[in-house]
Amino acid sequence: MAASLPLFADPAFAHPAPPAPEPVSCEPVQLHPALWRAHQLGRQRDGTVASGFAELDAELPGGGWPARALTELLLPHPGIGELRLLAPALAAVQQGGRSLMWFDPPAVPCGWTLAALGLDLRQLVIVQARDGLQPRARGRLPAAADVLWALEQALKSGHVGAVLAWLPPGVRPESLRRLQLAAQAHDGPAFLLREAAALARPRVAPLRLALAPAGPARPDELALRIVKRRGPPLAGTLRLALAPVLSTPARARAGRLAAVPAPVAAAPVAADHG
Amino acid sequence: MLWLAVHPPWLSLEAFAATLPADQRQRPLALLADHRVQAVNAAAAAAGVQPGLKRATALALAPGLQFGQADAARDAQALQALVHAALAFTPAVALDGSTVLLEVASCLRYFGGADALLARLRQALQPLGHRVQIASAPTALGAALLARWRDDLATGPHRDDLAALQRLLDEAPVWLLGPGREHWEALQGMGLRQLSDLLRLPRAGLARRFGEDLLDELDRARGTRPDPRIWLEAPERFDARLELAMRADHADQVLHAAALLLAPLVAWAQARQSRVQAFVLQMQHEPRHRAEVVTPPATELRVELAEPAADIAHLQALLRERLARVQLAAPTLELRLHCREVVRQPPPNAELFPTRHSERAGLVRLLERLRARLGDERVLQLQPVADHRPERACRAVPVADVAGASPAAAAPPAAAGGLPWPRPVWLLPRPLPLPDRQAMPWFEGRPLQLLAGPERIETGWWDGGLATRDYFIAQAADGSLLWVYRARLPVADAAEPLWFLQGRFG
Repeated sequence: MAASLPLFADPAFAHPAPPAPEPVSCEPVQLHPALWRAHQLGRQRDGTVASGFAELDAELPGGGWPARALTELLLPHPGIGELRLLAPALAAVQQGGRSLMWFDPPAVPCGWTLAALGLDLRQLVIVQARDGLQPRARGRLPAAADVLWALEQALKSGHVGAVLAWLPPGVRPESLRRLQLAAQAHDGPAFLLREAAALARPRVAPLRLALAPAGPARPDELALRIVKRRGPPLAGTLRLALAPVLSTPARARAGRLAAVPAPVAAAPVAADHG
Repeated sequence: MLWLAVHPPWLSLEAFAATLPADQRQRPLALLADHRVQAVNAAAAAAGVQPGLKRATALALAPGLQFGQADAARDAQALQALVHAALAFTPAVALDGSTVLLEVASCLRYFGGADALLARLRQALQPLGHRVQIASAPTALGAALLARWRDDLATGPHRDDLAALQRLLDEAPVWLLGPGREHWEALQGMGLRQLSDLLRLPRAGLARRFGEDLLDELDRARGTRPDPRIWLEAPERFDARLELAMRADHADQVLHAAALLLAPLVAWAQARQSRVQAFVLQMQHEPRHRAEVVTPPATELRVELAEPAADIAHLQALLRERLARVQLAAPTLELRLHCREVVRQPPPNAELFPTRHSERAGLVRLLERLRARLGDERVLQLQPVADHRPERACRAVPVADVAGASPAAAAPPAAAGGLPWPRPVWLLPRPLPLPDRQAMPWFEGRPLQLLAGPERIETGWWDGGLATRDYFIAQAADGSLLWVYRARLPVADAAEPLWFLQGRFG
């Protein structure tokens, strides 16, 4: 482009400095906000909520959890630090005076812990739609129908600040597509926490993360892999230091214990310190 | 004075046909009273059926004619709904036959003129589902006559000008007036077709032949005699019943009919300048004559609103969710809707841009919808309890219960961050016994590494839930953190498990 400019920059016309026409940029982001180059991170048009982890924000398009879109978190099992990962963003949503809604959490969460993580329990509603045991009047519907309905209502209403949903395994892709459409009315992050087996199947959510514990030597840390995002794939694994559960001596002890092979665990665990 | 008259010419027929399926409404229909046709719909009229015919004659003309019984109570209820809708606009509402009269001179300024008021009135009447003819005039009876006569007299010079009204009435047919049909036929027979023909006759003779009433009505319509009216008021309570044209076996069939009762309910609430807090839908069942099955005479469904509302769509959505959970004990023949709980306060202001307040209201409605479908016990809020036993330290209570409590009660202590020991987010519903080998708890085939602890919890001896445990934070093989405890009492039975998994740090 720089080479072509002198053709038009005739000195006769250049004086007195004419209001040069805006140089037409080929940057796709200036053509349309939804475009980006494959080597860049996509931009999130609809606002984001900072995750509270600087190294994670740097890798997320728009620098945070996306609003108006689904975010899938794939975990091997509940209880690996997923709430400590989300808590800063959720607390920020509540600071803005908006409510959280959780759908079908795997167990009743402990209010004291949530309060310690900075959440306001008065602005947290838990919808427990799953009960496979009691026969209901709508028994002919699949088990997930109620929670999917409730989730869609919450997303569509646009009055909830942030949504967390633990979906049962085997939710059909068309249901997720429906949720993604509903999420466009939802001005806030929407997290789906799903089983790790869903990793292999492509899904509609524009942002998908696989979470795992960072290994025995690093308790209070979370290994996070970005499976899908608007932008180039991220090869490495992010290791995020979560709000600690353990005291410093206890953490050091974990490092020491991981260095010596456990009685049965034959597979050596890479322990870089301890 | 400016009067608006709202005349529903097909009121009784529409009130009957409302419960019919849509395709049947298009077929020939007639209402019978005393074995004679009282009202017909357009399809029946096209076949030549007219009011006044005998049933057999009507059937001969239109073999597919469907009959319904005229029901004065049903008509009165439908008319009542129109009156209520009118009462939302002005307190001066009167009835003249089946014509609703509104005196609106005093509220024109508030509604921004007669035309704006008319548009609002038509909009308010629309959910009731009746076709209406509206006319306006400076006299009450004049407006009523015009409304019964033609459909295009809502505006015009006669609206404010008495002389123009009198000129218009001169052209009106005589059948508009008078106590009954025999008089009209006599008048026709005498060659009197228009009201102006009546005016030309000597008054004394006319009064002798047809009674004082005819002249009196004519004078009141023309504005030469005063016409006092008694204003109607909306009753304290709302009760409406609806007979179904066909029995409903399923709750979703009931919904369509129940929606027909919601429109009058909302009209009534608006007439009382209030919003509905709760209402009861009663489904009257068909009596069954088999001794072995005892069916209740009626199923009652009470719908309570978290936030009072006067919005048909919202009430309907709530009712739909509630009805979806109801299983009818027997087919339903009749619906009744009662409402006596209203809130008399101005509705909240509408807002141009979403604010925190409107979002709050939207959230309340969302929760209401979720509770209506899933049940109150499934939409929960957490309440921390001051108890050391982790399984009792937090309760999940229905949202409605929390709303009633003071917000301070539900607030966790500010110093929550200073919990001396970390607590896991996820507590298992009941502790999971862990096998114990080499004096270590094992989990999923691997020994657990105890990283921190013990934290001793010993409490609850006073309420029977004695817990004496030593808690540890343990690490599973994959590195996730667990919360385990060791029962501390000298275990009587050696086979009793010693270690338990109680929570996971999420």
